Amino acid sequence: MASQQPLPNTQIPLDVYGGDEVSALVLDAGYCHTRAGFAGEDVPKSVLPSFYGHLKSTNSDTSTTTYRDIFGDECLNPRADFEIKNYMSRTESVVEDWDAATKIWEHMLIKRLQPDRETHPSKNGLNDPPEDGEGDVAMEDVENQEKPLAENPLLMTEAPWNAGKAREKAIEIVMENWGCPAFWLSRTPVCAAFAAGKASALVIDVGGANTTVTAVHDGMILKRSIQKAPVGGLWLSQQIRTMWENNDPKIDVIPTYMVENKTPVDAGAPAQAKLRKFPFEIAPSFRTYEEERLLTEFKESVVEVWRGPGRYANPGNEDLVKTQPGRVFEMPDGSNQMWREQRYRVSEGMWDETAALPLPDGSKVQTIPELIKAALNAVDVDLRPNLLGNVVVTGGTSLLNGFNDRLNNELATIYPGVKIKLHAAGLTTERRFGSWIGGSILASLGTFHQMWISRKEYEENGAGIVEKRCK
Amino acid sequence: MASHDVRDVLNLPAEGAGFRPAKKQKTAVPRPNLKGLAREVQNLGGDNPIAIVPEISTFKKRRFGSRKPAARWEMRPFHNSARADGSLHLRHWRRRTEGQSGAQSQDGQDAGEDKKETEQKSEELDDSGFAKFNVQVDVPQYSEDQYNSNLTNNDWTKDETDYLFDLARTFDLRWPLIWDRYEYSPKLPGGAGNGEGADTTDPNTAVIPASKVRSMEDLKCRYYEVAAKMMAVQKPVQYMTQAEYALHGIMANFNPNSETQRKKFAQNALNRSKEEAREEESLLIEVRRIVARQERLNQERRELYNRLDYPHTEQDINAFKSSAGLQTLLQNLMSVDKSKKRKPIMEANGNSTPTSAQPPSAHPGSTPTAENSHNRRESIAASTSGSAHRDSIGGGERPERPTKKGAQPPERKKLTEQEEQIYGVSHHDRLSSGPTFRYERINKILTTKSHAQHQRITNTLAELDIPSRLNMPTRSVVEEMEKLLTAIGLLLDMRKMNDKIDAEIRTEQAKKAEREKALAASQAEGGAKAEGESSSQAQGKSGDKGQVNGNKPATNGEPADKAANAKTNGEEPATNGTTDGESDETPDAMNDDEAEQVKEEAGDDRASRPGSSGGQKRSASVLSSVSDKSAKRQKK
Repeated sequence: MASQQPLPNTQIPLDVYGGDEVSALVLDAGYCHTRAGFAGEDVPKSVLPSFYGHLKSTNSDTSTTTYRDIFGDECLNPRADFEIKNYMSRTESVVEDWDAATKIWEHMLIKRLQPDRETHPSKNGLNDPPEDGEGDVAMEDVENQEKPLAENPLLMTEAPWNAGKAREKAIEIVMENWGCPAFWLSRTPVCAAFAAGKASALVIDVGGANTTVTAVHDGMILKRSIQKAPVGGLWLSQQIRTMWENNDPKIDVIPTYMVENKTPVDAGAPAQAKLRKFPFEIAPSFRTYEEERLLTEFKESVVEVWRGPGRYANPGNEDLVKTQPGRVFEMPDGSNQMWREQRYRVSEGMWDETAALPLPDGSKVQTIPELIKAALNAVDVDLRPNLLGNVVVTGGTSLLNGFNDRLNNELATIYPGVKIKLHAAGLTTERRFGSWIGGSILASLGTFHQMWISRKEYEENGAGIVEKRCK
Repeated sequence: MASHDVRDVLNLPAEGAGFRPAKKQKTAVPRPNLKGLAREVQNLGGDNPIAIVPEISTFKKRRFGSRKPAARWEMRPFHNSARADGSLHLRHWRRRTEGQSGAQSQDGQDAGEDKKETEQKSEELDDSGFAKFNVQVDVPQYSEDQYNSNLTNNDWTKDETDYLFDLARTFDLRWPLIWDRYEYSPKLPGGAGNGEGADTTDPNTAVIPASKVRSMEDLKCRYYEVAAKMMAVQKPVQYMTQAEYALHGIMANFNPNSETQRKKFAQNALNRSKEEAREEESLLIEVRRIVARQERLNQERRELYNRLDYPHTEQDINAFKSSAGLQTLLQNLMSVDKSKKRKPIMEANGNSTPTSAQPPSAHPGSTPTAENSHNRRESIAASTSGSAHRDSIGGGERPERPTKKGAQPPERKKLTEQEEQIYGVSHHDRLSSGPTFRYERINKILTTKSHAQHQRITNTLAELDIPSRLNMPTRSVVEEMEKLLTAIGLLLDMRKMNDKIDAEIRTEQAKKAEREKALAASQAEGGAKAEGESSSQAQGKSGDKGQVNGNKPATNGEPADKAANAKTNGEEPATNGTTDGESDETPDAMNDDEAEQVKEEAGDDRASRPGSSGGQKRSASVLSSVSDKSAKRQKK
């Protein structure tokens, strides 16, 4: 009986779990995917590609062209006059196209997270007696419709190098368009560290477009330590493309949507598939997007990181790998091949600059060990051992086979005298959505209530408050 | 008919040896707890359970009737007092309280909601339970005047100091963050006139003078300087509490240079190569081992010190508190030390005094040095092994040292005789190292004596009905035994003396009788006898010497003795007729014994009665010994 009595607020045990849900929403935007969900949950409810479809439709009668943006993986099918776009910047991982960003976020936060609820019959306006023949009652509903998120505080993540203008834009959209009662902007490395249960950590985020190394101290990033390089999933895809180009029978990247049917062939034999014919032109952006999906599958199933010790290029390593069983990968068109030493070669550029396959534009990228070194050199000496003892690895590309072993080896080589401890979540989802999960934890904490930027504060101080508060 | 009878008939092996009919298998499965008719049916089967029993499985009826209605929850707004604005009312799910639910049940849904809203507007909103966790660092503040009077610094403008303190407040004194975000751009000289608005210098329009690159140590130094000064301003140093004073001291004495130095070292330590790291690690292990050993050694030493009772001084130690007092104490200690060092030699000398009563000529040549060296060795061993012990305990116990020196006052309370007895305290001049058995002391007394004497002592003890080996050698018993043994020794000596004198009397009487017989006839013979006596004495002395110096003392001494004996024998052929035969017949060992005995007695005689004539005494001793031996032989 006693347990049924409601506890006064002051007696609720806080030390067990300091959560106090205020039905906050969490939005984590990346170049490849955008994640949204409810705070306090362990996985984002809605994960959409940041790529969206841009459909051009021409009205024949009025001869005006209108554009329609469609969101969601399931909508990205081959269509006529269909472009694939991304609202994020690939090099910076920050929002580039704010109009599209607003639309896709709205789509996710409102449509996907809060599907239309049935209104109570007494309130939906259908049963109201027609008073004076005017629609005054409906106007209130319109007012409510305009502020769809009036009940949910929103926590958004951002890249640590996000510019002040972009941050102000974000709070403007949230406050003006959606009417959130409270808002907060949090940096992705901080959230990733929180997801790993650490307030101070060296966060190595190997994402799709970029790899960032950031030192987090007591829940705040150290700005000087931020290091960023494009050695991420897309860079790896480029490496694979280069490898396929130079493969002995040159491999054409044929994405799945192009194949109508196929017959199985022996390994190394040319493909015997019938390609689909489309009555309209497929935009190159769509093809690239589809190719990327194929490459992602290749990365997930074939590519492996040489675990060390030492570099893959060291003599003997490749011979050793050649004796090991390889992996067969079948292309959508049916052609298949065994991949042995090549699958190590493509990923070696992440660690060894000389081993990277040349990119078409001839540019070189910083390797991950270099990023770590640079990041650590920019923080105080006293912090370095602690940071190396709390290395948090997150990001989807870090799921490559052997990535953590290699990272550990590399760190041990660079800092031989220091105790190094990697913290990488074991679950795939936790690694992919690390920063979202951290944001979910943060937004559901009772102690976080005092941090939110409230609507009133925004109205009093303007958009500049986000710079003052979200340090 | 029992089963073994059947087995007998059938010539089967006895029970247990051969096959046994398999035991009836017990139904291991516990019987289901059946009820009603089902149990009765089950029981019909007895031990062989019926395979199929109708079992009706029924679901438990839920007692809906007694259940309380489901708890009602509501989205309740609350505020957080830790927030600056206080206007943010977030909402969380809370169980509805009773009063509201009552209102709810009375009214319809909508009306209830309305009522609730009005209620909540009137009543205070709950405060978040997390507000109390909002703690803030106390960063010192200063006014314009205070800054100008106390805090001015050539290197720092007030503006930059303000900026630093602002950052310190923002980041709650997390120095890595403060240093990381420190981007101070000094105001333009013209901008300063604009007042507070110039704080945000527009990077696009203003020309920014190159700002100084501040290291973390610079920032800390400035902060601590200001903080320490403000602390002193608010509360003068002499009124500070202990903790405050310590904090003030730490902040005032912050040394950025040493801190930079330390960081440089840390940097070097981080950049070590693998080999260096390994080497350092092994060195560290070595150091740890050494330290651990040192620790153990120290602990053992401490234990030892604890065990060695430190003497409590009853004296006033104030005398030693001044430097002069210390000086005298040092001198005292040094003199004690010296005396300790000199002690063994002195002891040896003291020991040698009784033996030196013997004329050096008679002293066996090698023994004194050997004895001395032995003593010294023992005492050295004692002083090394237990010198501290002896010093601490024996300060008052050994009277000769403190009294001799007179420097060391008696340190401990003297125990009375009674107390000493109660506590079992005993005083020893010298303790040999290691434990000893008390009965060995008795044995030592016995074994040092010659075989013959030993025999005699045991005979005496047997007469007294005392076992030669003590059953219960307590200290008092041993002491009594020692006394008894010395008494027995004395007794034997006396008896010997008695015998000797008796024999002398007898010989003198015999002589007298003979002389009376041939009184007139042998007038000249008396002078010759005197001559022979003197010569025999000389012979005896030379014999002793030969015994001491020569390689074979027994054989050298023997002829002299024999010669002496022969002389006396020659003089008294009638009485000493057996002596000749005796000396011929006794084996070497016996001769040794005899010689020794003779020597001893000669020594004794010389010590006690130097005046008596050696020759006579010798003959007497020989006689007495012979008498014993002859008695023994007769027994055989």
